[in-house]
Amino acid sequence: MSMLDRTAPPQSGTLRNFDFPSVDRSSLPTGLDLRVARMNRLPMVSLNLFMRAGEAALGRDVGGLAVLTADALEGGTRKRSGSELAEALERIGARVSGSGGWEGTSIGLSCLAERLPEALGLLSEMLLEPAFPDDEVERAREQQLASIRQRAMDPGALATDVARRHYFAPDVPYARAVDGSVASIEGVTPGAMRGYVDANYRPGGGGLVVVGDVDSGEVRAMVDEHLGGFTGVPATATSFESEPASRDRKVWIVHRPGAVQSEIRVGHVGAPRSIPDYYPLSIANMVLGGMFTSRLNLNLREENGFTYGVRSRFAFRTQAGPFQVSTAVGNDVTADAVREIMHEVDKMASGGPTEDEVAAARDYAAGVFGLQLETAGQVATRVSQLVVYGLPDDHYDRYRDVVRAVTRDEAAEAAAKHMRPNEAQIIVVGDADVVGDPLRALGLGPVEVVES
Amino acid sequence: MTQLSIPFERHRLDNGLKVVLAPDRTVPVVATNLWYGVGSRNEPEGMTGFAHLFEHMMFQGSAHVPKNRHFELIERVGGTLNATTWFDRTNYFETVPSHELDLTLWLESDRMGWMLPAMDQGKLDNQRDVVKNEKLQRYDNQPYGDWSERLQKLVFPENHPYHHTVIGSMEDIDAATLDDVASFFRTFYVPNNAVLTLAGDIDPAKALEQVKRYFGDIEPGGEIPALPGEPNIPALIGETRRDHVVADVPLPRVIMGFRTPSYASADFAVAEVAQSLLGSGRASRLYRRLVRERRIAKGVVTYVYPLLSGASMLLVWATGYPGTDPADLEKAISEELADLANAQQSEIDRAIALVETDLVRSMERVAERADLLSMFDLFFDDPGRLNTELDRLRAVGLDQIHAFTHERLGEDNRAVVVFEPENGR
Repeated sequence: MSMLDRTAPPQSGTLRNFDFPSVDRSSLPTGLDLRVARMNRLPMVSLNLFMRAGEAALGRDVGGLAVLTADALEGGTRKRSGSELAEALERIGARVSGSGGWEGTSIGLSCLAERLPEALGLLSEMLLEPAFPDDEVERAREQQLASIRQRAMDPGALATDVARRHYFAPDVPYARAVDGSVASIEGVTPGAMRGYVDANYRPGGGGLVVVGDVDSGEVRAMVDEHLGGFTGVPATATSFESEPASRDRKVWIVHRPGAVQSEIRVGHVGAPRSIPDYYPLSIANMVLGGMFTSRLNLNLREENGFTYGVRSRFAFRTQAGPFQVSTAVGNDVTADAVREIMHEVDKMASGGPTEDEVAAARDYAAGVFGLQLETAGQVATRVSQLVVYGLPDDHYDRYRDVVRAVTRDEAAEAAAKHMRPNEAQIIVVGDADVVGDPLRALGLGPVEVVES
Repeated sequence: MTQLSIPFERHRLDNGLKVVLAPDRTVPVVATNLWYGVGSRNEPEGMTGFAHLFEHMMFQGSAHVPKNRHFELIERVGGTLNATTWFDRTNYFETVPSHELDLTLWLESDRMGWMLPAMDQGKLDNQRDVVKNEKLQRYDNQPYGDWSERLQKLVFPENHPYHHTVIGSMEDIDAATLDDVASFFRTFYVPNNAVLTLAGDIDPAKALEQVKRYFGDIEPGGEIPALPGEPNIPALIGETRRDHVVADVPLPRVIMGFRTPSYASADFAVAEVAQSLLGSGRASRLYRRLVRERRIAKGVVTYVYPLLSGASMLLVWATGYPGTDPADLEKAISEELADLANAQQSEIDRAIALVETDLVRSMERVAERADLLSMFDLFFDDPGRLNTELDRLRAVGLDQIHAFTHERLGEDNRAVVVFEPENGR
């Protein structure tokens, strides 16, 4: 055995290239955009149906209707009760879940490939013949109301909920919780759900993605058989602009007497997915707080020991979602942590990342992309993103090249444009009697204490 | 019926390090996964939480790797990494593009062989703060955050290795010294107490040479000391033990723990299948009855801990609605537990079908393959158990479920932690 030199990292081996699985796309006469990719390492299949039935199109008074309707799909069909439906799915080892979000509603299915015909039959029943029995709708509603109560007492969830109200103007949907409020949830009826499904569970503008050990022709035949009646276009979405609640920096303390820790959120209205500088901004954010070795984490965690972890994130949606730094810290270092967060955001916005940092973030983004194409579920999710954001078919074929082409100056410019520390809303959920004065002493802007 | 056949080969280096190589060249990704046979069960009195604090110290550098370099190097190649500490073990893992395998071997071998030269008081103080913040964030500042601590105390007696939690106590974490780090390292972080698995895009013959090159010259350690305390305890708790907590929680919650045979016992499979019948999926008994039909619970969770030392634990919890009387919730759970004695074969079939899909799905990720192979080799000296896992569960018969219900889920083997909202119901 040759002597090993341990003093320096080993040289990389030879890169083995790997292409994004090829996707067979067809537009069905029903209006359904079908995308099938074969991955046959294991006898599995993952399916994702995306429909433009999103919360962003719902007003505050009916907020949560899309989420709750998707939740209640498990309540049964015209042919079988909720229990019978669960039994039929689980007997063949299939897992199905519906979930509503800002952009739309997704129904996911995962099962052994040999079970797909049966599973697709059941999914079609849920989609085309949902029953929404009174007791099941009532249950979904009660569960959602209880969740709202739970969230209000979970400091982290509370901080996030309060923060978005201070980032977005009141009439922007993103200002509210995606799954609604007590008032809007209490008003949801089985009739409202049926009406919502009838108007919005339509293939137009959405897509069905099937990935796994399947043949595209066979999938097409199954879809023709089971989803032939799935047609039409969803009721059009209302459009809006993501306006901020305020452009003046302010500190909000949500008072929790006796809290042992402070949950911190710092942010403002971010940017939509469609911005031309999406990649440079993503890279700048990774350097700020999107990786373990980000500036924020190295400062707050590894240098100062203030926190278990801190991150920053742009929620890229069709309209601008929040840009936000999140962390939880001890009472005694709450103001110090806020000061350091502001310092790092300021520094990124004014000076941008260094060449080295950009190179590291680019390499990370390009490399980790390949690591996340292992499973049928991961690939199905990726393909679904093309549908959701209207991205071109060759998006993933070009992804790594596009990421690797981002320059330091582009990242710096994007940071300067989209990170605006002077407009930040700073939310601290903690004990105001302990953290209030040190936060005031920072002089970041007015400090307002609100009861939780 | 699906039969898993994940290919792998086993080796053992002269210093005692077990090596499992599981090639699958579909995707150019490799998972490096290292399990050390040390966890919170090895912590003596006064050192609770130390195994986990030590795990943090493993990321603070080693003789040839400066602080933060480990993260930087792995992220730079687009890799992911982490580590976790649990009762019986601590695992460290990276997933990287396969042409970067050497990097992970260099990093893991450097800290297995040469961690101590890089330790200093500043790093220990820093990670102590990080861990204390982790405890605040994940336990102390969370509604119900201390449930596990309360339940373990009831299910396992004071001198048992599972009596205390993995996160441990703030006082013990405060008391940790650099000498403790050194002695823990020399005792437990030795090649003869570890399994290294590489899964994914590797050539096994070449990978074995690489492993020997990086790990071959690490000195073996001594015998691993016996566990502190007394792992051998009676099969049953012997009574119903209670802890009624009135606290600042949003909803009532009833948490029950039952002593079960240990993961090392053949009977453990019965507990796993019983757990599935009770709470896995929406056709499970507790979901169907308590959540869907009676609507007394907002949600239910069941889980069976795979613990090795003397005994393990089956967990059942149900969260009520704002108006639910915890006593009613507890009664409802008890009725369903007793009714498991009437379980049908079709329920077992359903549970097995779900387990089958979940297991096959988990095999899609090389990281998950590697983790299970390491576990089976460390715990049972048999990584091949991955491929026979389904047979073990399929062999559980209805009569065994019925017997398990009578023997293990009764009032003479029960720990109950009740959380009641303090602002009244």
